Amino acid sequence: MSTLESAPSSAVVDSGLTPNRLPVLGPWILVGLLSAAFVLRGRLGWFENDELRLWSTLFVSICIQALPFLVLGVVISGLIGAFVSPELVQRFVPKRPILAVPSAGLAGLALPGCECGSVPIAGRLVAAGTPSAAALTFLLAAPAINPVVLVSTAVAFPGNTNLILARFLASLSAAMLVGAWWSRRSGDSLLEQLRHSHAPKNGRWRTFVDIASRDLIHAGGYLVVGALAAATLQLVVPRSVLNSVADNELLSILVFAILAVILSICSEADAFVAAGLPQFSLTSRLVFLVVGPVIDLKLVAMHAGVFGRKFAMVFAPVTLATAVVSAVVMGWVLL
Amino acid sequence: MNRLARSILLFSIGLVMARLLWTGGFGWFVQQRMRFPLLAAAVVLILFGLYEIVSSLREEGRDPDSSKRAAGPFVGWLLSLPLLVLASVAPTGLGAAAANRVDSYSSVEIDTGYEPLAPSSTPIPMQVSEFQGRAIWEEAQSMDGVPVLLEGLVVNDETVPDGFKLTRFLVSCCAADGIPVQVVLRDVGQQFEDDMWVRAEVVWRPPEVPYQDQEGEWEVEADVVRIEVEPNPPNDAYESPY
Repeated sequence: MSTLESAPSSAVVDSGLTPNRLPVLGPWILVGLLSAAFVLRGRLGWFENDELRLWSTLFVSICIQALPFLVLGVVISGLIGAFVSPELVQRFVPKRPILAVPSAGLAGLALPGCECGSVPIAGRLVAAGTPSAAALTFLLAAPAINPVVLVSTAVAFPGNTNLILARFLASLSAAMLVGAWWSRRSGDSLLEQLRHSHAPKNGRWRTFVDIASRDLIHAGGYLVVGALAAATLQLVVPRSVLNSVADNELLSILVFAILAVILSICSEADAFVAAGLPQFSLTSRLVFLVVGPVIDLKLVAMHAGVFGRKFAMVFAPVTLATAVVSAVVMGWVLL
Repeated sequence: MNRLARSILLFSIGLVMARLLWTGGFGWFVQQRMRFPLLAAAVVLILFGLYEIVSSLREEGRDPDSSKRAAGPFVGWLLSLPLLVLASVAPTGLGAAAANRVDSYSSVEIDTGYEPLAPSSTPIPMQVSEFQGRAIWEEAQSMDGVPVLLEGLVVNDETVPDGFKLTRFLVSCCAADGIPVQVVLRDVGQQFEDDMWVRAEVVWRPPEVPYQDQEGEWEVEADVVRIEVEPNPPNDAYESPY
């Protein structure tokens, strides 16, 4: 048992951010804070402010809404970490990027969920030996082209099959373009840090729980960072400001790209928000639908956490630009 | 974060989720259909938490140093923040404060496939979004003259000095994507406070100028037959576009 613990059973790097100074007190501080908050609420009337209450509704709802997808994601990532060996990956994942990237993109069809769950999965896929270009393609494609997202887009835009097709094609091509770019660019250098020693053969279920819990704490912590930012910005930047740019196509495309990043809305819901802004062109709203699932505030935070900050700094702008361009091109062709 | 802390955190999140499901409070934050995914997540978290609490305590018995080993990054502590907010601010659902911030949904074609309403003398219960959709988009205008029962929140507005906007939120996933759907009730003859839940029997007032020709936001109006206050908000406070 102790050998299992001392071996780094997790592949996700803790990036030296782990001041383990409160190892023993930590849990009790948490319990104390929770009970203090519970006792104090209402007594002091501190929390009656409308803005604060609205902010906390938004913040908590983003967290709660992401939780099932996050849990599904870490259960899958735990299974990958505990049961998938590099040999298995090598048998099933094509080695050449020209095959691996498109098939990883299409594999995104199979994960019904939104973007939060796919981050830990991609991390574990890399740790298990998947070429990082393929894992990143999957990371970008899965939340955008899965059936649930496509159906909800169809419901939000009844009868507009071209928009659904455009969303599917633009998202898939953005994911594959980024994957292709990554496969040419790197010798997997940035993601090298994810390839720590692999999970040991014995105690696999224990390894599974350990990896799933660790990934949950990890990705979940960054999810909270993103939710904090998104809830705050939603209140600071009222959506009505948008109306002033509706007439200018270029400006509205830019605004929708920024909006997608700021609002950090789940990919299963963004179609309804886009449907709710009919004063804008379909192309600019397509930009919103293509950018949102691949890059937004909470995702940047999660990428930085799972893959490292340096990675996120490069990956975020490239992904954003690729998504905007492929959405504009698809919009021009199809809409 | 060591293993014991991590497991207590996961366990608490699972427990709080289970409590929100039990009390129905989760409906303030997400759509009703998230109930089962959330339940599954809560069960998984509670099981993970229990398993880890037991095995980390056992491990500590064998190896006292094990509690000093990191089992998760420091940022993981942030996961306790939603719990702290829930316990302290105790947020509830979207209300007047949110309705005044976000554009309403009126100009969106929600669904045109409505069956025509038969003339009726007893009020027909209807979602606010359907009421609005029929008013704006149904060409047959079968709702004209039919009494309808609407449930929603009171949102007072300067433009409606003698009444209020009866409001529901259309939420597809979570409260952060909520869009208000509103029906303007004038000549109510009574003051209601913001965020009160009311049940109103109303009759649609067809617009003098067709909605599509109106400047600015299209406002669906209705005449009030009677209004009663609902002491308890309904479980499914949000309407779904599905």
